[in-house]
Amino acid sequence: MASITFQGVERVFHQNGKAFVALKDVNLVVQDREFVAIVGPSGCGKTTCMRMAAGLEHPTGGSVSVDSEIVTGPGPDRAVVFQAFALFPWKTVWDNVEFGLISLGVDKAERRRRIEHYIELMGLHGYEQAYPHQLSGGMQQRVAIARAYVLDPKVLLMDEPFGALDAQTRVVMQEELVRLARQHPRTVLFITHAVEEAVYLADRIVVMTGRPGTIREIIDVKSIRTQENWDQHARIEDVMDQPSFVHLRSHVWKLLRSSGAADAH
Amino acid sequence: MLQPRLPAARTAWLTLVGAGGFLLIWTLAALSGMTSRNFLPTPWDVVIRFAQLVVEPFAGFTLFQHLLSSFRRFATGFVLAVAVGIPLGLLMAWFVWVDRIVSPAFDAIRFVAPIAWVPFAALWFGTGIGGPVLIIFMGAFPPVLINTYRGAKNVDRKYIEAAQMLGASHFRAMTQVLLPAAVPSIVAGLRISAGLGWQSLVGAELIVASSGVGYLMVKGQAAVSTATVMSGMAAIGVVGVLIDIALRRLQQSIETRRGL
Amino acid sequence: MSASRRHPLLTLGTALGALLGVLLLWHLLTAVWGVIPPMRFPMPLEVAGALQQIAVEGYSNGRLHQHVLTSVLLVTMGFVVASGVGVTLGLAMGASRTVEALMNPVFLLLRPIPPLAWIPLAIVWLGLGVAAKMMVIFFAAFVPSVINSYAGVRQIDRPMFEAAAMLGVKGWRYWREVLIPGALPSIFTGLRLSLQASWTTLVAAELVGAVMGLGQILNQASQDIYPAMIVVGMISVALCGWLMTHGLAWIEGRVMPWNSR
Repeated sequence: MASITFQGVERVFHQNGKAFVALKDVNLVVQDREFVAIVGPSGCGKTTCMRMAAGLEHPTGGSVSVDSEIVTGPGPDRAVVFQAFALFPWKTVWDNVEFGLISLGVDKAERRRRIEHYIELMGLHGYEQAYPHQLSGGMQQRVAIARAYVLDPKVLLMDEPFGALDAQTRVVMQEELVRLARQHPRTVLFITHAVEEAVYLADRIVVMTGRPGTIREIIDVKSIRTQENWDQHARIEDVMDQPSFVHLRSHVWKLLRSSGAADAH
Repeated sequence: MLQPRLPAARTAWLTLVGAGGFLLIWTLAALSGMTSRNFLPTPWDVVIRFAQLVVEPFAGFTLFQHLLSSFRRFATGFVLAVAVGIPLGLLMAWFVWVDRIVSPAFDAIRFVAPIAWVPFAALWFGTGIGGPVLIIFMGAFPPVLINTYRGAKNVDRKYIEAAQMLGASHFRAMTQVLLPAAVPSIVAGLRISAGLGWQSLVGAELIVASSGVGYLMVKGQAAVSTATVMSGMAAIGVVGVLIDIALRRLQQSIETRRGL
Repeated sequence: MSASRRHPLLTLGTALGALLGVLLLWHLLTAVWGVIPPMRFPMPLEVAGALQQIAVEGYSNGRLHQHVLTSVLLVTMGFVVASGVGVTLGLAMGASRTVEALMNPVFLLLRPIPPLAWIPLAIVWLGLGVAAKMMVIFFAAFVPSVINSYAGVRQIDRPMFEAAAMLGVKGWRYWREVLIPGALPSIFTGLRLSLQASWTTLVAAELVGAVMGLGQILNQASQDIYPAMIVVGMISVALCGWLMTHGLAWIEGRVMPWNSR
């Protein structure tokens, strides 16, 4: 069971003698193999939450644990897909994907097997020896996703992974991610500010507000998705045409809209 | 007003005038009889002397033999500086405690002009190769260390976070992330380092050597043969330029490979 | 070298602590454990003794402050002359393509010659006195000043020149109000390099042959096989070099308050 638990999480910054509360009282459990998306306005702390699960930042109050173990630092069991890709420019696609596997001590034959599998899966065949700067943004992010998946991590953390891509590429990547997630279900924490993306991808959506960052509401998408059978539609635009989708999207929008005003002190 | 480029013909003409004028004044001064030809040779005298030195030994060796001797010392000192400087720079950038320990010591020593190490070199190594090598090292080491350190410190945080997320050990993080990321800075440092190293070599050879181009110049000076001294200066200048060109090529090839 | 966002006192404390640690280690290695033989490296107390000797009684024709003064004076004179000529020439070459084309050949000839390589020539022509030192310093310091001043002019933005032309700035004012301020950061870079070159070259020249000066101390101590005095010489060289560099930086800060360095 690879779950992510946020318990009473708080994050306070001190600047010029004043305390600035970035996150307050965040309580959330991401179940094993559940795809949870956090949406919220810029600066609401959603990325901070992900980074705390990744071990790149630490809460000042409360705790974040993965699989009942408190997170102390980064590691390959909590793979991250960064918004800025963060592929090593001096390594080929293959070497980039391989990097984490070497840390895990996986033997050469197994490494090869796993890398080839995900290269194939992410449509990177033929690009194994290319360098990141030779690839488009979408291709680079595919490499980043392959790099994360290949680690067989307990949880997958994605920080606005499609934010740096153009609209068309973003749509293609969303479709691919859905396909990937259905094929190889993992525990995923997905950060985004794009509501449509969240509704399309997630099992549950966590709506956050800002200043201080807290959870406004958690919405169950999966039940609606299975009930209305969105998965029968291969194309994203068909899913987004569904009345249930539209309704859900509006609901989230309204929450986001009012959350700023309602929570302003 | 910042002037636009002159037409190529005019530039060529002015360049010729500048060069020609310089050579003319020099030749006239040499031929004027104010001093002996040994003291102030004409440009042509220098060229002839240079050619002589290539064929005939002076102060023990021919010009190329002297140059080889010098270059060998330079290469040793330079390679040593790089072999110590790069790992140390990476370690200092990665482990803060290493930085805290080494920095003060380094800052204290680097202000000692390399040439000031000559007496020490003489004390420890006599006239062996160790002396000049130490001095070259002292000249070449600081730029390598500083540039490696800066390059590694300025690595984009996202690469460090990615490396940590991917479970890289300290060693892998330094060699596979910091080092490649710092390469442009390191190579720039290498150029500076080579230049300073070559300069320090000259200084060292003026005092603690029994072969090499610096030694050649000292012997030429003792014999009051300006043409010999100038030949030495020319040889030093040429080799220095060649070293810099070689490193610049290296720098450019690395930049293209990285797609920068 | 590490960026200290920590309290400056803490940084100073750490540095002092490190220094004391080094001193202690030095003392242990030489005086107490005898790991390093006294012939190779002096003990801290010996260095202190040598320092006292040269400061009070004098060594090699003079007391410490006289040596320091000799060297510093020579460097300052040489530096001022060389950079004065160098900066002027560099600015002229930057501002006028004609001057650039005329001076380039000579300059390209001089540029690859390392400063210290001028020493034998200077000795042949001018002997071992002050004149020779000045000549060497001149050629050492002249080159970086020219290069950087030239670069400084060349990197001034076009709009600055166009604004100047529009405002009818000409002649002397053009130099004072446009060229020099615009090129000033680069000029100071050149000055810094020139100063370093001047200092290094002087010490080297004094090492080769001089009556007085820090380099001369090193030379004499080397001949006398007096390691402690060598160390005193080296520390003096380092300190003076450091002080002058910082002095120049201070001047730079006053002259260019608008520069965020």
